[in-house]
Amino acid sequence: MDREKLKADIKEIVEEWKTKEGNLIMILHKIENRYGYVPREVSFEISKLLDVPLARIYEVITFYNYFKLEPPGKHTVAVCMGTACYLKGGAELLSELEHILGVKEDETTKDGLFHLEIVRCLGCCGLAPVIKIDGKVFGELKKNDIIDILSHYTKQNGQMVSGVGSEVSGKP
Amino acid sequence: MQQKRILIKDTDLKKDRTRDFYTAFLTEIQDKKLEEKVQLVRVSDIGIYGKGLTVRVLPENFLYCDVETGDISRIVSESVVEGRPIEALLHKPDDKQLRLVLRNCGLVDPESIDDYIKHDGYQAIATILEKMTPEKVIEEMKISELRGRGGAGFPTWLKWKLTRAVEADQKYVICNGDEGDPGAYMDRSVLEGDPHSVIEGMMIAAYVIGATKGFFYIRAEYPLAIERVNRAVTQAHEYGLLGENILGSSFKLDIEIRLGAGAFVCGEETALISSVEGKRGYPRPRPPYPSVKGLWGKPTVINNVETLANIPLIMLKGGKWFSSIGTEKSKGSKVFALTGKVKNSGLIEVPMGTTLKEIVFEIGGGGIAGKKVKAVQTGGPSGGVIPEDFINAPVGYESLQKLGSIMGSGGMIVMNEDDCMVDIAKFYLRFCVDESCGKCAPCRIGGTQLLHLLEKISEGKGEIEDLDRLRRISRAMQKAALCGLGQTAPNPVLSTLRYFEDEYKAHIVEKKCPAGRCAGLFHFSIIEEKCKRCGLCFRNCPVQAVSGNRDQGYLIFEEKCINCGRCFEVCKFEAVSRG
Amino acid sequence: MKKLTKDDLQAIKQEELKKETANWIKVGLSTCGIAAGAQDIYDFLVEEVKKRNLGVSIQRCGCAGMCYAEPLIEVKVEGMPKVFYGKVNKETAMKIVEKHIGGKILVNDHIYDIRSSQ
Repeated sequence: MDREKLKADIKEIVEEWKTKEGNLIMILHKIENRYGYVPREVSFEISKLLDVPLARIYEVITFYNYFKLEPPGKHTVAVCMGTACYLKGGAELLSELEHILGVKEDETTKDGLFHLEIVRCLGCCGLAPVIKIDGKVFGELKKNDIIDILSHYTKQNGQMVSGVGSEVSGKP
Repeated sequence: MQQKRILIKDTDLKKDRTRDFYTAFLTEIQDKKLEEKVQLVRVSDIGIYGKGLTVRVLPENFLYCDVETGDISRIVSESVVEGRPIEALLHKPDDKQLRLVLRNCGLVDPESIDDYIKHDGYQAIATILEKMTPEKVIEEMKISELRGRGGAGFPTWLKWKLTRAVEADQKYVICNGDEGDPGAYMDRSVLEGDPHSVIEGMMIAAYVIGATKGFFYIRAEYPLAIERVNRAVTQAHEYGLLGENILGSSFKLDIEIRLGAGAFVCGEETALISSVEGKRGYPRPRPPYPSVKGLWGKPTVINNVETLANIPLIMLKGGKWFSSIGTEKSKGSKVFALTGKVKNSGLIEVPMGTTLKEIVFEIGGGGIAGKKVKAVQTGGPSGGVIPEDFINAPVGYESLQKLGSIMGSGGMIVMNEDDCMVDIAKFYLRFCVDESCGKCAPCRIGGTQLLHLLEKISEGKGEIEDLDRLRRISRAMQKAALCGLGQTAPNPVLSTLRYFEDEYKAHIVEKKCPAGRCAGLFHFSIIEEKCKRCGLCFRNCPVQAVSGNRDQGYLIFEEKCINCGRCFEVCKFEAVSRG
Repeated sequence: MKKLTKDDLQAIKQEELKKETANWIKVGLSTCGIAAGAQDIYDFLVEEVKKRNLGVSIQRCGCAGMCYAEPLIEVKVEGMPKVFYGKVNKETAMKIVEKHIGGKILVNDHIYDIRSSQ
């Protein structure tokens, strides 16, 4: 990342919120939206600009599920584990994804293509069980639909899904 | 003859013969040479379930249930041609739903403030600013008997009155849109479908308590809701409905949006306040209540989305009108997200006092795949299961509490014979353990201990004494936990124990999961008579627990088996038994 | 923009009421609707209505509650009952444009609710 550009970006975000009360979470949201996670150097920068201790920033980042400290994969696969999805087979979808991608919850495939995560409820209970890849929701899924959906994303990236996870494996 | 329409749908829950009846009707219409004047339509849903072939004749709107082939000729000649009802078949349609909170959802364009104004939007606040004192508004709210829709059911007027009574240089109003109950999305729908009515509700609350600043606190998982609320707030500012001197009065209010970041505990009001302040969402002991010491130490009213959406309507139609709906202690209507093993999952709104049975069977169309409904869960991780025996219970704060559940924010999940109650308790508890903020020991340690016990039971390692342990820890948590999350976390355990102790015992004593959900209790074996010796199970077993060959057949060795169920899934001949 | 007064609210309301058209389609565009593909249907209808010059206004609205039937659209055409069509894909949307709007004939197998007033 270009350091000067990064600094300017963060400054812009912080300036917008600086005078507002209770701004830290909102600033972190903006950072997360832009970079997909909260890089350490960004936290340093925010700490300086807002004049709050770094510990305060990390305290907030680590409390909330939404904020990540590591860069996620290119595509985020979120499996809904709301009650409706769970009853209708959400757990089976998760284990199929884990099986195909060869990663566990909150891990990224080795090629950096997919990040697998669990979400509480996407509010699409009428379509249960659902998964969400980036912004798109796929509903009324069966276990066997997963491979087709994933291969759509791998094709975009000129790769093949291995099917058993031999080529992709979890990050330590 | 004016254009007639015949709508048909077979509402039998087991098999759908709509197409057969369609042909029969069509023949009748052709025989009578009515093709030009009558249109026959197959519909997908006619609002009635389990009453055989159902027919609606338009424009007269005659509704006939349990129609037999022999009735077709009569319906066409008498009702369609002559426009007379056939009394013997007539069914009186009876709409169970009452859309008050959802009055504008599906009607107004949520991105247009003008469309909201067209549907009497901002009329309530205009009238109030013109001629009502805050005391008068509180009085009206008291008459309405509206109680908080977030779950606890505290009277809204009292909350406002207490906050109004505190002297302070600054007060706040917060809209709690942190809808954390997994499986519930009432608030999302209102924020996405009718954001202006929530803003108007906040304006009224702010006027009454004397707040000049308001915050929406919305889950980050709801990007569309955030976008729509953002737009609505901007529009209201542009029209001068927010800001200084609103509608020519001295009332001023600014509203900002703050986002949650994926922490269930932030639905608890003191934790929510912490989060709006930009900090970790830790709850703190009450009192002092937020009405005295809230956001940044100032008196604060926190109302839930659904509560706020009710308010403009109450002020327009009067408290008396509102209190005429519902039961003695629970007034008005309630929105539920009806999901799970029910035919029509969706968002419904019914007057308080409607029975669970009416909701599940008459609105929801009953269970899916013809399976028997076993229980209804309300209140999410803080609620409980209500077994089918009590399905005639009316919805209301007290009536559901009496049954060991709560009204909650409006999640209503239908469960059937495929759902294991131990597994359900475990699901909710794992949720609460994950979401526990860790501040107080009863929740942090108690929750984990409960979860361990449930895991033990679902793996077939439970002892009968564990049931008593579950009860004891649960009671301790209810009494000693700091906030609502910890106090209510044991509810799913206690209510499943109360009604489904047999299922727990089956896991413990017989080492069996009656619903076939708990993987730890499966025993896989090959049914020789059904086995075609194809070898699929052998090839798919990840741990070589299947041995044998195509000539002699196959066997599963239990010592090696890890209960993954792969053999069961791949077998094309149902020759692997699980049980 | 100037600050509204109570009279302005009334004026906006009257103005909006005047704008009401006899023929319209409302598309439910909430998260669940969009997840089921409602945005595509909305775009398709806008395009199709414009192309054929049908004089039907396509409007956006929130969730009508029937999540099991998303994407859900409500159709009102003069001389026809108000109809909710559910599980609408492009093919069904085309049928609705051609048959319901064009030919004043109800489309089979996709009606989830119908209001009798004509």
